Amino acid sequence: MRAYAGLARAAARSVLTYRLNFLFGTGALVVHLVAMLALWSALLDAGRSVAGFTLPEMKAYLLIAFGTGFLVSIFGDFRMASRIHSGMVALDLVKPVDYQAARLAESTGGVVAEVGAVAVVWVGVVTFAGPVAAPGWPQGLLFAVSVAAVVPLKFLVVYLSTLLCFWTQNYLGVFWARDVVVSLFSGALVPLALLPGWFQATAAVLPFAGITSVPALIYLGHVRGAAALGLVGLQLAWAVVLWYAARLAWRGAVRKLTVHGG
Amino acid sequence: MAGPTGVRRLLWLYRRSLGANLRAVLEYETDFWIMVAAALAAQLVGLVFIGALFSQVPELHGWRFAEVVLIYALANLAAGIGALLFDGVWRLPWMVNQGELDYLLVRPYPVVLQVTGTAVGMQSLGEIVGAGAMLGWALWRVDLDWSPITVAVGVVLVASAVAIRVAVTVVSNAAVFWLTAPSSMLAVSVNQLGDLARYPLTVYGVVLRVLLAGVLPFAFTSFFPAAWLVGRDGYAWVGLLTPVVALYCVGVAALVFRRGLRRYESAGH
Repeated sequence: MRAYAGLARAAARSVLTYRLNFLFGTGALVVHLVAMLALWSALLDAGRSVAGFTLPEMKAYLLIAFGTGFLVSIFGDFRMASRIHSGMVALDLVKPVDYQAARLAESTGGVVAEVGAVAVVWVGVVTFAGPVAAPGWPQGLLFAVSVAAVVPLKFLVVYLSTLLCFWTQNYLGVFWARDVVVSLFSGALVPLALLPGWFQATAAVLPFAGITSVPALIYLGHVRGAAALGLVGLQLAWAVVLWYAARLAWRGAVRKLTVHGG
Repeated sequence: MAGPTGVRRLLWLYRRSLGANLRAVLEYETDFWIMVAAALAAQLVGLVFIGALFSQVPELHGWRFAEVVLIYALANLAAGIGALLFDGVWRLPWMVNQGELDYLLVRPYPVVLQVTGTAVGMQSLGEIVGAGAMLGWALWRVDLDWSPITVAVGVVLVASAVAIRVAVTVVSNAAVFWLTAPSSMLAVSVNQLGDLARYPLTVYGVVLRVLLAGVLPFAFTSFFPAAWLVGRDGYAWVGLLTPVVALYCVGVAALVFRRGLRRYESAGH
């Protein structure tokens, strides 16, 4: 356990050391957030609502989508991909720690820095872009649990797709493809309620909705009580399933490893 | 040496340079197709988003679905063509930091073209196909008085949009001559602001409007040309300024690059 805590600390420190890169790394997501805030503000002016979302609710939704999109995004995948491609991953294999758990520890360390950055952006938006919906305390508590569940869930989606680097040299393509799938099915692109019924039904049984839609809808109180508890349970269940699926995938992946040189 | 001379020689050599890089890219065929497919999917997701918005409202600040798709497609087409022809510019920070620019300086060919010709953006084909299809659909759906002049001006507008996009990328990457860090993070951030131009300029506040129409004129890669094409009152004439803005941007880029090159002090710092 101490080894994993050490890895998490090292990851957090590494993010803070390269803080300029970290700041620029937030750029794409902040630009996207600005565009979305502007678009939805134009769309939902004069107290209009769309699919049950008023403007303050939509702003809260966008902020949560920004936050969950930013969690587990800066530390891990590109580093892991480049270590697989360069063969450095061989050194990770001989370390007396579990590879998957070690990567989770590092990502969790990164989350510490990410939460700080998200908080700064949230304060900025609330200051400059006007009122944002806020939940009561039982919803708030459930929201906190749901967001905490996003960390392992998102880590596993990222980890599983990064394992593809054992088969392809091109991580950027994998990264984009994952981005497309996650943003569409998680509700980060647009609330799932705005998409066709068959799509919502598909998204409801996939793990991705747990990354954005579930915490956001709980925060807004669009799902409450037993239904909300059920969704959080589903998030956790998916995290467990994906954890073991990743173990299985790893077993196949590591056989593909070719390390050149001597 | 045999071969064309003058401007034709420049174009001929540039095509050869890109061709060589394209062949290199195609050696990794699976990777190439992954990138193309991922880029195409990313384009479609943007369309899904706009479609979801317009399933709820008939228009956005007076812009209808097909018109917003037009703006979106123009922005992405300019970025895609820029990436196909000039993607090497992203290697400039690394080349300057590593002193690799030395080799380029001794060759009888403009340095900036040597840099921009060192890479072909693998994703660009997906972007161009996706954005091109959206553009075709949008042009078919919007009210447009088709005439040879429309077509000719349209082609000039798209070419100017590409020039603006590339010029801004060159300037932001050329900042490395002053910053000397081997990272293109500044250029990446500037380029990301270009994504704001995918939506009607009118949805933004005054600060962003001034930024996108004046300081970093990304609005001229999409919004203003689209406004001219659909004949939107108050903005259409601005669209006709696009070639002027493009010339200005290219001039600034050439100037900045030349000034930067003078500061270049090779490796060892």
